[in-house]
Amino acid sequence: MRPYTYTAPATLEEAVRALSEAGPGTKVLAGGTTLFDLMKLDIETPPAVVDIRALPELAGIDTAGPRELTFGAGALMADVAADPLLRRDYPALAESLAKAASQQLRNMATVGGNLLQRTRCTYFRGGPPFPCNKRLPGSGCAAIGGLDRGHALLGGGDACVATYPGDWAVALIAFDAVLDVTGPRGTRTLPLAGLHVEPGERPDREHTLAWDEIVTRIRVPVTAAGRGSTYHKVRDRESYAFALASAAVAVTLGEGGAVEECRVAVGGVATRPWRCPSAEEELAGAVLDRRSARRAGAAAFAGARAGTHNAFRIELGIRTVAEALRIAGERALR
Amino acid sequence: MTDTEESGDRTAHPWPPVERTPRVGAREKVTGAARYGADHAPPGLAYAIPVVATAGKGRITGLDTAEAAAVPGVLLILSHLDDLGIAPAGYVMADGYAFQSLQPLLDDRIAYRGQPIALVVADTLVAAVHAAGLVRAAYDEEPFAVELDAAGTETVLQEEALPLPFLADVVVGDADGAYERSPLRVDAVYETGPQHQVPMELIGGVAEWHGDTLVVHEGTQSAGALRGGLARQLGIDPDRVQVITPYVGGGFGQKNSLQPHLAPLAVAARRLGRPVKLVLPRAHTFHAASFRPVSRHRVRLGADRSGRLLAAIHEVDQQASRRDLLPATYTEITSRLYGISSFRGRQRHVRTDVQTPGYMRAPFEHPAAFALESALDELACAAGRDPVELRLSNDAGADPVTGKPFSSRHLAACLRRGAELFGWAERPPDPGSMRETDGTLVGWGVAAGAYPVMTVPVLARLRARADGRVLAEVGGHEMGQGITTALARAVAGDLGIGVDRVDVVVGDTRVVPHHLTAGAWGTNSTLLAVHAALLELRARLGVPREGPVDVAAAVAAAGRSAPEQDGAEVVAEALTKGPGQPPEAVDRMRAGLVAPAGPEYPGHVAFSFIAHFAEVRVAPAAPRVRVSRVVSVADCGRVASPVTAEAQVRGAVVWGIGAALSEHSEVDPRFGGFVNADLADYVIPVNADVGRIEVAFVGEPDFTLNPTGVKTLGEVALVGVAPAIANAVFHATGRRPRSLPIRVEDLL
Amino acid sequence: MTSEVVTEFTVNGQAVRLDLDPRESLLDVLRERLGLTGSKKGCDHGQCGACTVHVDGRRVVSCLLPAVQVNGRSVRTIEGVAGPDGALHPLQQAFVDHDALQCGYCTPGQVMSGLACIAEGNAGADDDIREHMSGNLCRCGAYPGILAAVRAAAGRREG
Repeated sequence: MRPYTYTAPATLEEAVRALSEAGPGTKVLAGGTTLFDLMKLDIETPPAVVDIRALPELAGIDTAGPRELTFGAGALMADVAADPLLRRDYPALAESLAKAASQQLRNMATVGGNLLQRTRCTYFRGGPPFPCNKRLPGSGCAAIGGLDRGHALLGGGDACVATYPGDWAVALIAFDAVLDVTGPRGTRTLPLAGLHVEPGERPDREHTLAWDEIVTRIRVPVTAAGRGSTYHKVRDRESYAFALASAAVAVTLGEGGAVEECRVAVGGVATRPWRCPSAEEELAGAVLDRRSARRAGAAAFAGARAGTHNAFRIELGIRTVAEALRIAGERALR
Repeated sequence: MTDTEESGDRTAHPWPPVERTPRVGAREKVTGAARYGADHAPPGLAYAIPVVATAGKGRITGLDTAEAAAVPGVLLILSHLDDLGIAPAGYVMADGYAFQSLQPLLDDRIAYRGQPIALVVADTLVAAVHAAGLVRAAYDEEPFAVELDAAGTETVLQEEALPLPFLADVVVGDADGAYERSPLRVDAVYETGPQHQVPMELIGGVAEWHGDTLVVHEGTQSAGALRGGLARQLGIDPDRVQVITPYVGGGFGQKNSLQPHLAPLAVAARRLGRPVKLVLPRAHTFHAASFRPVSRHRVRLGADRSGRLLAAIHEVDQQASRRDLLPATYTEITSRLYGISSFRGRQRHVRTDVQTPGYMRAPFEHPAAFALESALDELACAAGRDPVELRLSNDAGADPVTGKPFSSRHLAACLRRGAELFGWAERPPDPGSMRETDGTLVGWGVAAGAYPVMTVPVLARLRARADGRVLAEVGGHEMGQGITTALARAVAGDLGIGVDRVDVVVGDTRVVPHHLTAGAWGTNSTLLAVHAALLELRARLGVPREGPVDVAAAVAAAGRSAPEQDGAEVVAEALTKGPGQPPEAVDRMRAGLVAPAGPEYPGHVAFSFIAHFAEVRVAPAAPRVRVSRVVSVADCGRVASPVTAEAQVRGAVVWGIGAALSEHSEVDPRFGGFVNADLADYVIPVNADVGRIEVAFVGEPDFTLNPTGVKTLGEVALVGVAPAIANAVFHATGRRPRSLPIRVEDLL
Repeated sequence: MTSEVVTEFTVNGQAVRLDLDPRESLLDVLRERLGLTGSKKGCDHGQCGACTVHVDGRRVVSCLLPAVQVNGRSVRTIEGVAGPDGALHPLQQAFVDHDALQCGYCTPGQVMSGLACIAEGNAGADDDIREHMSGNLCRCGAYPGILAAVRAAAGRREG
């Protein structure tokens, strides 16, 4: 690990100032479960780190509000996952956190930091000798034509097929979450859908935040579809593993089981949290049954591009969406 | 001291039963007091971190250490540019001590990606890690081959490359002719990929010099190999090397020999005049030690229409390194699990550019059983026979290979008892016929396993103390298998004292010489030595050969009658070895080398047996296999320690779940080495993967084999778990898994 | 050169004040500076749970925690679980009674995780325990014993 300077400001204002003063390349440290991990691998080598873990402005969870749910960016994954109202009214959001990592890691990681969790691509994490355009722009991509069993089917390109590994952002994007962001130029609101970017020619650019900006709050508009939702995750083992495929799904059903509102996003299969409007269109007004659920899954993966070893995850992904719709549909009827 | 020929007093010695006793050392382990190698922290400690090659093969053309050396706190950077004064330790299976013949840091050759090229030592761990990340190497790369079918590999026949009698191909009768004439035939190829042992304890420890004596604290299954190997490497007397390893955080074969980081660590400690600690990063451990090689098995079974086996042909290709050949014994069990009158085995090695593969729990028997027991399941289908019934009808009376009897063989009892405990009689024969309301497919599978009983030379010393306690100093290692519990129980049971009155010391070369603890021979071999030492102790105490002993009184009485003893303790020693092992075997054990051959039993062959029954569930949406229930029944002779024996079997079942369903070391032929080199990507089971596991033992002591009646357990426990799961997957889905692991993509 | 950071915290109730390099993990500080070697390093990347300790009463993996981040907080390690007289905590005793260990290397982390699992209310059913103990790998495969021990210490019977 490279040396770095460490500061732990007491307020958000101080943190923004400290970040600006430390200059480009500085990283904010919250739970540390991604940043400190990648620093140990010499993948992240910031000269300075600003610790925002304990900032009071980033605390707090409010899931009772009439118009929106709010999550302080510094709230812990474990606390949000255990929130009783969230578990009852938005099981997809709670499950996306509960099925991520381990309880120890959920006790460290924050819901803000988790949004920017970096890929688990073994070639990215492995360092030399593997070329990686994300880690070392211009060096190439070892995953293309390599061991790509876990790599992205959606949103990849010729430069990078690294999978976005998070679960929480997948669930949030299904619920049209927005972020409050603070920096030296003031505060702005950013739809979560506008946070992550596909790799394109610059896989090293993963999001639209400026280096000196801090996510302070995550807000989710209230929707009746929350109760009929689930986050379904398929892994190589029963727990403590990243998704081979996952789906965040929320529905409301009208008379005769016709779909009124429908939200679908998929995880573990794309280069960024992946909302699936075509799947939602496929279901709109349709009766939710095995066939329509399967059609929605197929629509979600219509644009999928398989590599060498990952084609099976197209079928797995389709089934995962369909299974999530089945579970969500049952919940919507309760 | 008694230096008993073979297994000592040959009379059966039915130790009085001791109640179930908890694991010795459990208290230390649950409180964090147990000290593993890297827990040692002497004053003045420095820290080392290796730098590893990124090239797949070739030569180092430049090594830039300037930036690393400039990091404050860096003390030393060792590499091939330096003369380390280290001699090779030799390959453990070729009169040496190390897991492979290659000792890194001695020249510019790179044999595989991940090979160490430098060792950075610093005042602090952060400085060492930082500096190691700054060492830059340039390479002249050469083509390499890391997969079985790659261009540039070389295939050699084992019996030609390793011309030793016990490594010759097993040939009984005319298997090819009998196969051709068989009305029912199965011909299939099975493959198991590379896997890594990944014990939780990282490889590493502390090297320090006390004057001109090297003291090593490191978790190992072979303290003797570290002692002998380091002495050879450093050119010093073995008596000037001490290895202390009271607790080993799991071995599973990974720690069964000297690893190449230790000699450079000792050199660093000597140059600095400071103790140095090295804990390998987890990623390094995937290349720093051995692994389970790829093996490919073509199995042909011939049978009559009832499923009675007439012939078996088992041909194996096993991955090797360029330098060393791991002697393969896949066919040792496949030729004996059943009464097959005609058998032909063939074992070949495929040389590739990797570190030398080696032993990983049931190294040959697990893959061999996956192949044979899967093929047998295919035969049962072809014959329309129940798989348990088919196995029972093919049970062997005598050893099909030698014609000798088995010292004991209760495989049929394992199968019958297992079937009963599992409820096998309820199993519908057709695949896909058990389905839950949500569409989940349920399957039941069975498979058997066997493992040879091996016995090695062991020295045991018992010290009966005036306070009534007994100290047992035994050559051996506690890796969690429960050897200390079995030894304490044996001493306590024999003398009629409480287990808490017995102290056991293992893993300390200052006390006794150490055998390599592997191959599941540790407990039976050490029990033989303790058994002999107990007889000697009783003689010295002047008490009868059997019955309870008042140790304190007997020690006091012995002190009165033999004033030259100080009255504080009475000491007895015994050295035992396996039947038919030459006297050199003892010398080799003392030197830290593995026994050259044997044991050779005059009138029988000796194996442990097991039967596993598995229930799997395959959900329709994502057809990932879950193992909901396993019943395992073992024939391991006398159960030396019920609590730890049951744990061994349960743990082996968990191993089998990993081996069958998730563990696979991924190879990218463009880069060499292993790619998924961490505990997130090398997928071992977690708690939620494990359902109900029921363990039972036949429990019949094998007094034909030895006077303790104990056979072997730790390895056989794994043999057959994976095929039981694979056969259950077939029963659930109608799809026949022929390679491991069986992952979701295989059943979509 | 990294500047050191004065860090004050308590470990098992004892106040500690250290000048820390911000690169030092809590695990390395416990093991290499404070002599508390019960917490184990199995991966150093949050992938195994052998280093599990409690910070402010919650279980975390100490390998992924920069030690400077525990400034002002309280840390509890396996060394602080048994009573001052050496009496085992009921969960420790349950680990012994149910043989929830083999080599013992992961055991301190399992115990710390098990204590938290019960305190969190995640020991209500066997599947809850299995799920919430899945962040602690055990290569010996002592999972059935670990389940039984946590269940017993939570005051539950099988099921």
